[in-house]
Amino acid sequence: MVSFEPSEDQQLIQSTVRSYAEKVLRPRLRDFERARCLPDEVMQALHEMGVTTLTIPESAGGPGLGLGTAVLAEEELAAGDAAVPYAMGGAGSLGAVVMELGTDEQKTRLLAPFCEPDAWKHRGALAFSEPRPAASPGLSTTATRTALGWRLDGKKSFVLNGGIAQATVVFAQVDQPAGWEGLGAFVIESDRPGMTAGPRMGTVGLDAAHFGELVLEGCVVPEANRLSGVEKVGHGLLRAFSRISLHSAARAVGLSRAAFDITREYCETRQAFGKPIGHFQAIAFTLADRLMDLDSARWMLWRAAARWDAGKDAGKQTAMAAAHAFEVAMRAADDAVQLHGGAGFIRDVCVEKMMRDAKTIALTAPPVAVQDALVADGELGVQHDLAAVLPTPDIQPIFT
Amino acid sequence: MIDFELNETQQQIKSFVHMFAEQMVRPISLVADRDHGLPPEFLARVNEMRNAFTMGAIPKEYGGEGDGAGGKDKKGGRSANLTAAIGSEEMCWGDAAVVLTLPGPGLGGPPVRSMGTPEQQERFFGVFQKPGLHWGAYGLTEPGAGSDVAAIRTTCVKDGDHWILNGTKCFITNGARADWVVIFATVDAAQGRAGHRAFVVEKGTPGFRIGKIEEKMGLRASETAELVLEDARVPAANLLGGEDSYRTKEGFMGAMKTFDSTRPLVGAMAIGIGRAAYEHARDFVKEHYLLSRPVPRYRAIAERLARIARRLDAARLLVWRAAWMADRGLANAKEASMAKAYAGQAAIFACIEAIEVCGAPGAAAGSDHAFLDKWFRDIKVFDIFEGTGQIQRIVISKRILSGLKSF
Ligand SMILES: Cc1cc2nc3c(=O)[nH]c(=O)nc-3n(C[C@H](O)[C@H](O)[C@H](O)COP(=O)(O)OP(=O)(O)OC[C@H]3O[C@@H](n4cnc5c(N)ncnc54)[C@H](O)[C@@H]3O)c2cc1C
Repeated sequence: MVSFEPSEDQQLIQSTVRSYAEKVLRPRLRDFERARCLPDEVMQALHEMGVTTLTIPESAGGPGLGLGTAVLAEEELAAGDAAVPYAMGGAGSLGAVVMELGTDEQKTRLLAPFCEPDAWKHRGALAFSEPRPAASPGLSTTATRTALGWRLDGKKSFVLNGGIAQATVVFAQVDQPAGWEGLGAFVIESDRPGMTAGPRMGTVGLDAAHFGELVLEGCVVPEANRLSGVEKVGHGLLRAFSRISLHSAARAVGLSRAAFDITREYCETRQAFGKPIGHFQAIAFTLADRLMDLDSARWMLWRAAARWDAGKDAGKQTAMAAAHAFEVAMRAADDAVQLHGGAGFIRDVCVEKMMRDAKTIALTAPPVAVQDALVADGELGVQHDLAAVLPTPDIQPIFT
Repeated sequence: MIDFELNETQQQIKSFVHMFAEQMVRPISLVADRDHGLPPEFLARVNEMRNAFTMGAIPKEYGGEGDGAGGKDKKGGRSANLTAAIGSEEMCWGDAAVVLTLPGPGLGGPPVRSMGTPEQQERFFGVFQKPGLHWGAYGLTEPGAGSDVAAIRTTCVKDGDHWILNGTKCFITNGARADWVVIFATVDAAQGRAGHRAFVVEKGTPGFRIGKIEEKMGLRASETAELVLEDARVPAANLLGGEDSYRTKEGFMGAMKTFDSTRPLVGAMAIGIGRAAYEHARDFVKEHYLLSRPVPRYRAIAERLARIARRLDAARLLVWRAAWMADRGLANAKEASMAKAYAGQAAIFACIEAIEVCGAPGAAAGSDHAFLDKWFRDIKVFDIFEGTGQIQRIVISKRILSGLKSF
C-alpha cells in the first residue's frame, strides 16, 4: 500500500535530528569548516542521539534500525551541514562493507565497538581507491598469504577518515589473474604495524571531513580479519557500494533541501527593481524546478531504502536514486549561488559551501556514470560486468 | 509507514489495464492515428464492454463504479486517485489518443461531480447508462483565452428560465461528438473569475453548433473541435450548481479545484507515452547492441537509456505523491502541478531520446519504429493542455513564495 508517511518512530527521530541540526549544526558550519573537524561536544551529542549507530544490528549492540530510518536522519543532518555525517564518528563506510561482506561473528565483533557509550570518537574507514593504476584489471594493493596471516602492501588514497580511524577495511588483490573477481577485504586496526597515514588531503568541499592516504608495507593481519561472509567479494562490494550510495544520496537530498530553503527565503527578501526578486518569473520558475528535483529525489531515495528494508533487491532503485540525487544537489547548489548573485560567491553566505559540498558528495559514492551503468544493466537484464560497474580506483577514484 | 508497493487491487487493475492496452489499444494505434479516429469495429467492441471504461469515471450513486475523490479500498485506505494514476499510465502506454476518445464524461466529469447538484449529476451522468456510445467534454479555452482563464469572453445572459450564450470555444477534446459539454461563460467580463458560470450545454441546443475540427501534430485520433454558441438557449436547470452557488467565490474555485485531481492523471498519461517510447528503445538496444556492438558504444547508449528511465521514474513518484495526497484529502495543488510539469517534460525527453537511440529509422514513419514517430508527435501537447508547463510553475511559485499574487 503506497504511503509517503514515515512511521511515528521515524518522525520522532526525524524531528529530533532536525531540531539539533537547526540549533547547533547550521549556525556553526563555518566553525567546523575552519577547524576542519567537529568539536568534541558535537561528536558526543551526535553519538548520544544515536545517529552514529542507527543501522548497526542489535546483535552488535546497535539499535538495528532500517535504512529507511537512516536516510531520514541523514537528510536532516546534511540539511544542517552536509559535512557533519562525514565528519562525525561511527562505522561509516566500513559498516556498509562489514554488513555486506562479514560473517555474523565478524559483524558483531567489528561493529560492537562503535556502539559503546563512550565511542563517540570511534571511526571506521574504507580504503578502496588508489593513486596508481594496476597493471592488470583489479587493484594494485596486494594481499599475500603468509604463515602469520595476510600480508598487505600498497597505497590507498581518498580515504575518508584515512589515518584517524580505529578500524579500516582495505580492499586488496588476493588472486591476480581473477581480476575484479579476485579481491579480498581486510579489516586493519589502527595500532597494527605496517599501516601508516599519509598527509591529509585538501578537498574542494566537506572540509570538516578528514580525507587521507594510507601506506601499507608488510602489514600483516590474521585470517579472522578477512571478511569472509560471502564467496564473491566483488559482488559483495557492489552491494556495499550500493549501501554507501544510498547514504550519500540521503545527504545530497539534505543539502538540496537546505540550498532550496535558504534560497527561497533570500528570494522573498532581496529586492530589485522595486520588488522581491522571487516575484520575477525567471527566478520563481527556477525555484519551482528545483523543488520538483528535490521532491522527486527524496521519493526515489525513500523507495530504494524501503526496498532494502523489505529485503528486496534494491540495486537498480538505489543507483537511480543516487544518480538523480547527485545531479539534483549540484543543480540546487549551483542555482542557490546564482540566485544570491554576488553575495552567493562571498563566504558570508553558506551557499558557496553547499556548491563545493555538493560536488564532493557526488564523489563519495560511485559516480553518476557508474550508477547509470548499473541502472542500464538492470533495465536490460544484463549481468553486471564488475569492470564496468565498480568505480575504477585509479581512473575514476572516489572518496570512500 | 513509508511504502511504495501497490496493493493487491492496484496490481490487478494495473495488469488488467495493461493487457487491454497491449491487446486492444496498441494494435489499432497507428491506424487510428492515420485515419484521425477510432476504427468502427473497435468502437463496437468498446460499446460491448464499455462499462469497463466509463464506469470508473461515474460515481456509484449515479450508476457508475467510481468512488470519486474519497473512495476507499478494501482495507479502508483511500486510494482512488492513485489507482486512477496507475490505470492512466498503463492505458496511455497503449495509445493516449485512443484513450482520450474512449466513451465517457472525459474532462467534463470532474466539474459536474464537484459543482453539480444531485439532480444534475443524476441527469448528466445518467446519459452514460443509455445504449450506444456517449461522451462528455470540457469547454473552457477560447481563441482569446487559454492560460489566462479569467479572460474568457463567452457571455451568458439570463432570459426567463433560460440562459443565452454567445461566444466561441476552441481546442475542445471530443467537442463534436459529445452529448454534453461543460461550457464556461461570463455574466460580466469586468468581474473576472467572479463573473464566470459553468453550464452543461447539450448536443442539439438551439444556437449551438460545431465549428472546425482541428488537424494536429499528434493525438490525431483524438477529436479537437471548435464550438460556436450563437444565441444558444440553455435551460436554467443546466447551470451547474444552481444560481445561488455563484454568490460565493467557491463557484469558480470549484472549476479550478478539478485540476488538482486531473493534473496528476495527465502527468500519468504522459509517463505512459514516455514509457512506451523508452521501452521500445530499450528493446532495440537489447536486440542490436548487446552482443554485436563494441563495449564502449554499448555503454554509451546504455547510459542514455538509464537517464531516460530515471527521469520517467522521478516523474512517476511525483505523480504518486500528488495522487496519494489527494487520496488522503490533503491540499495538493502544488504537488499536482509539480507532477504534471515534471512528467510532461520527462516524457518529452524520453520520446526525443528514444528516437536518437534508434537512429535515423527512429524518426521515419512507416519503418519498424513507426511508433516512435507517433509518440514523438503525441507527447508534446502534454506540456501544453491542462495548463502549460509555465502555468504549472506559476501555481507552484505562488505556493512557495510568500506574498506572490501574480507576475
Ligand atoms: C490537443 C488539445 C486538446 C485540448 N483540449 C481542451 C479541452 O478539452 N478543453 C479546453 O477547455 N481546452 C482544451 N485545450 C486547450 C488548452 O488547454 C490550451 O491550449 C492551453 O491551456 C494553453 O492555452 P493557449 O493555447 O491559449 O496558450 P496561451 O495561453 O496563449 O499561451 C501561449 C504561451 O504563453 C505562455 N504563457 C501564458 N501565460 C503566461 C504567463 N502568465 N507567464 C508565463 N508564460 C505564460 C504559455 O505557457 C504558452 O507557452 C486543448 C488543447 C490542445 C492542443
